[in-house]
Amino acid sequence: MDSRPVDETLLLAVAERDMGAFRTLYERHAGWLTIRLTRRCNDRDLVADAIQDTFVAVWQRPRGFRGDGDIAAWLWGIAIRRLVSRLRSRGGVAAVFEHPGAAPAAEDQVLLSVEYGDIGQALARLSPEMRAVIQAVVLDGLTAREAAQLLHVPVSSVKTRLYRAKAHLRAALAEGSS
Amino acid sequence: MTGWHLDDDALRRYVERTDSLTEGASAEQHLLSCEPCRARVNAAVDVIDLAAVWDRTRDAIEVPRPSVFERLLHAVGLPAHEARLVAVASAFRAVWLTGAAAILAFAALAAAFGHDHGVWLFLAVAPVVPCLVVASSYDPWMDPALEPELVTPYPALRLVLLRTIAVLALALPTVLVFGLVIPGDAPFGWLLPAVGFVAVVLAASTWVSPLRAAIAVSSAWLALVSLLAARFGSPDAIIQGRAQAGFLVLAAASFVIFILRRRQLRQLRPWG
Repeated sequence: MDSRPVDETLLLAVAERDMGAFRTLYERHAGWLTIRLTRRCNDRDLVADAIQDTFVAVWQRPRGFRGDGDIAAWLWGIAIRRLVSRLRSRGGVAAVFEHPGAAPAAEDQVLLSVEYGDIGQALARLSPEMRAVIQAVVLDGLTAREAAQLLHVPVSSVKTRLYRAKAHLRAALAEGSS
Repeated sequence: MTGWHLDDDALRRYVERTDSLTEGASAEQHLLSCEPCRARVNAAVDVIDLAAVWDRTRDAIEVPRPSVFERLLHAVGLPAHEARLVAVASAFRAVWLTGAAAILAFAALAAAFGHDHGVWLFLAVAPVVPCLVVASSYDPWMDPALEPELVTPYPALRLVLLRTIAVLALALPTVLVFGLVIPGDAPFGWLLPAVGFVAVVLAASTWVSPLRAAIAVSSAWLALVSLLAARFGSPDAIIQGRAQAGFLVLAAASFVIFILRRRQLRQLRPWG
């Protein structure tokens, strides 16, 4: 089942100011975007604001989607940046979710080594700070500056931690393969 | 698409955030391209009231964006609600301003190329444009905000003055720019008459509707200008010092009358 034609049709209708299509688009995507954002930020009000901002932005610029890749990925790119922007305007205390899976259960470890090989274990051994940076920069595709705003640390710390995390992973993988 | 999907346990761990970083990253990558799994995640959301967020989103997109002019007023320090009240006047609709600018451009061009006749035309038109725009900015007949103004306890004087200042801030530089293409002393000859007529309209609107006052003043001015143009060939009669001083006195006297009679301002009453 390919979702792209459905979403692209909806987006075209949104560009024609079709509120029904906009509602459908919201219902198809607001849920999983919310779940994914709450994994980055444990402040629910802030996540709700970011979701609102995301869909307001989609309504205002539906033609921002250039037709490459999945609309879901495009929406996520907007959502994570809206969240960063909300965090920035609030200032104050960091609201980053501390990942509870810091110590995976033994079964998970087995699954991971099957599915990801040594990289999974290497990642699991990273400190929470380094994992947060890897998640923001490598997995979410944020720039160092955006990651710094999301994590409430200086840009230089993001770069240092990313460098160390990569060195750590490289060493762990080299060790595993030798 | 690949035939591989998140199993129920993995989905539950993802939603409850009890998975590991790598498992979560894998799930997220899969979700970006798998609609059925996204639908299963959507069904599991319970942390946020998405219906309420939808209502807020819809409200946010249905509020019209403030006009450029309103944002400008807000930027120079006017509170948002006052900027709205000032900018909502029909005079600030782009079409009105464009029309007024077109008349002035026509008159200025005529003055630049038509010598004395053109200068007369410019002197006839330029001084009355500001007072006509001011009148239409608060005439009840043309005011879309009349209903809210009738029920809002807001000082009428302040509103009228704010709108007048806003109009002058827009209209005077425009007329001035067009005036620069006019040869001789004429470019500034219109300035004091314009200010005087605005004051006269403000004062007269304590008796009659602002638009009627402005039309009466404009007609009188046009009649006077054509009379003068017929009698003297050159426009010096208007530009000379004594006439200009007269316009200054007219402006000051009218403004004093306006302030004294401000309680009789017709602005907040529907005008038959």
